[in-house]
Amino acid sequence: MREVRQRSKGMNKSSLWFRWRFHLSGLLILIPIVLTPSYIELMSIFGGANGLGERTVGSRQVGPWTITLAEQFEAGPILDGPAGYMKTFNAALCQECAEDVKAVYIRLGKPRNLRTAGVIGFGSPYHMSFTMPVAENTSTEQLVWLTLEGWDGALHQTQWTLEEASPATVQFLKQLQE
Amino acid sequence: MNVDPKIKTHQKRSQWWFLLHSWLAMPIWLFLFFICLTGTIATVSQEIVWLFDSSVRANPPNDAATVLSFDEVIDVIERDFPGAYIEQITRPVKSQFALTAEISYPDSTSENVFINPYTGEIQGRAATGFNFRQFVRAIHGWLLIPFNTGFTRYSLGWYMVSILGIPMLLSLITGLVVYKKFWRGFLHPRLRVNRGARVFWGDFHRLAGIWSIPFIFIISITTIWFLIQGLLFEVGVPFNGVSTAPIYVARDDVPTSQEGRPPLLLADQAIAKVNSRYENVEAQMLYFPSTAFDHYRILGRSQAFPLVHESFLVNPYTGTIDEAMRVSEQPGLMLTRLSMRALHTGDFVGLSLKLVYFFFGVLLTMMIFSGMRIWTIRTFKATKAAFRQKKAFSNLSGGLS
Repeated sequence: MREVRQRSKGMNKSSLWFRWRFHLSGLLILIPIVLTPSYIELMSIFGGANGLGERTVGSRQVGPWTITLAEQFEAGPILDGPAGYMKTFNAALCQECAEDVKAVYIRLGKPRNLRTAGVIGFGSPYHMSFTMPVAENTSTEQLVWLTLEGWDGALHQTQWTLEEASPATVQFLKQLQE
Repeated sequence: MNVDPKIKTHQKRSQWWFLLHSWLAMPIWLFLFFICLTGTIATVSQEIVWLFDSSVRANPPNDAATVLSFDEVIDVIERDFPGAYIEQITRPVKSQFALTAEISYPDSTSENVFINPYTGEIQGRAATGFNFRQFVRAIHGWLLIPFNTGFTRYSLGWYMVSILGIPMLLSLITGLVVYKKFWRGFLHPRLRVNRGARVFWGDFHRLAGIWSIPFIFIISITTIWFLIQGLLFEVGVPFNGVSTAPIYVARDDVPTSQEGRPPLLLADQAIAKVNSRYENVEAQMLYFPSTAFDHYRILGRSQAFPLVHESFLVNPYTGTIDEAMRVSEQPGLMLTRLSMRALHTGDFVGLSLKLVYFFFGVLLTMMIFSGMRIWTIRTFKATKAAFRQKKAFSNLSGGLS
């Protein structure tokens, strides 16, 4: 008798669970609704509508040229499958020197020569993008080296401490190496 | 009461098929409905923008009917946006759309510029990044969940959506099994509007279903492929680029110059190089070299196999074609990937096919709604009855043995 009463309670057609259980998958629609503002923000960073990146590191005079460096995101490196951890920086050449610089390279640590200058910047000289590998054992004292190669063959270099270039990467490495 | 036992087992089997069909989509119907609805909108998102934004239209003037060459378009951009850097120019498949050029400004912002393909008039500009088309696609394709967050390389949403291809394909198959002699529905279509909601939605579900067989098949198969594509990418099967290994201009082939960037081959010259060597290539997308060691990349839809683009890399210093990816040269996985995508979106013929996709997209979305209506009215009762019957039957056979 008791069992019957309980069962009829569970099958009560007016209970919220009974009426809504097959519509619950609709809750997944909340995901894009909640994510819309961050999607718009993300797209404006990718599209360059906000400028060079989420955090501008600064501008430097490098030989006769001026370059501005920025972090794409104010965040640590992201694991890119078997390629390991990658950190994205963006850089812009000044309008006067955009046509004079053939290539810009970035790497952690001083390059020994042009062949090891690091990853090359892709895209418009006003919005070059670098996907820089960050080894897990990288020292947090490491320097970020930028090598600029002119169309005339001239090479000029500059460097930032990793702390200046990306505090989030230093934070990330500290946590990883603990 | 002498019932042929063969008929009885047959009836029972189709009853279970029917229950399977009913239960496949029901627990996820609202999510599936949302994905189909956004997909239907995504199919015609470019046309929706066309309706509301006159700057993306390509209105031909009354007199001149020739379209500008790529070089003429570049001249227009350089005249109107001095100092800007052109990243790519797209000539849409469909003649009713304006040319789009993506350009980057010295302040590091970038814009899409819409250019009349006949007059060269700059019709409008829009910041790159957020736009309606991509937004609808991103909702439909991966629920806006970001890619490469460290957990999965593709977006988690990609899998949540693409896995729906499986119940969709099973719904199609089980639907055709339970709809006895469904081909009769083609000859004797029935849509009773005056016999109550259950009858109407039932008729609608069957009628729309049989006419949508090819469409549902295409959509579910391509969706399952998207799932496989994501999984292949997760395990590191490389086919996400146009070429398997990137090709660069050798350092020795890049000239040095005391006066800054040396003059590159003109865009039209690069396209002419391709056209002189390969037949039936109509350049639709032109990507400018993204580094000093990069090529012009020229893309054109294959005339022989319009589901895929063919791509050509032209050395901007020497004019040699360093890579030609015609249909026959593309690796199988790449060809599959491009074809599946084109089949899923319907974006390879023009407006006519897009409208066909839109129509069947609306039907499919309504089928999910109608299925839910029928289910809530009928299937719950049927399930209870079937279980009662099964129990009674097993009690009976248990008693006999």
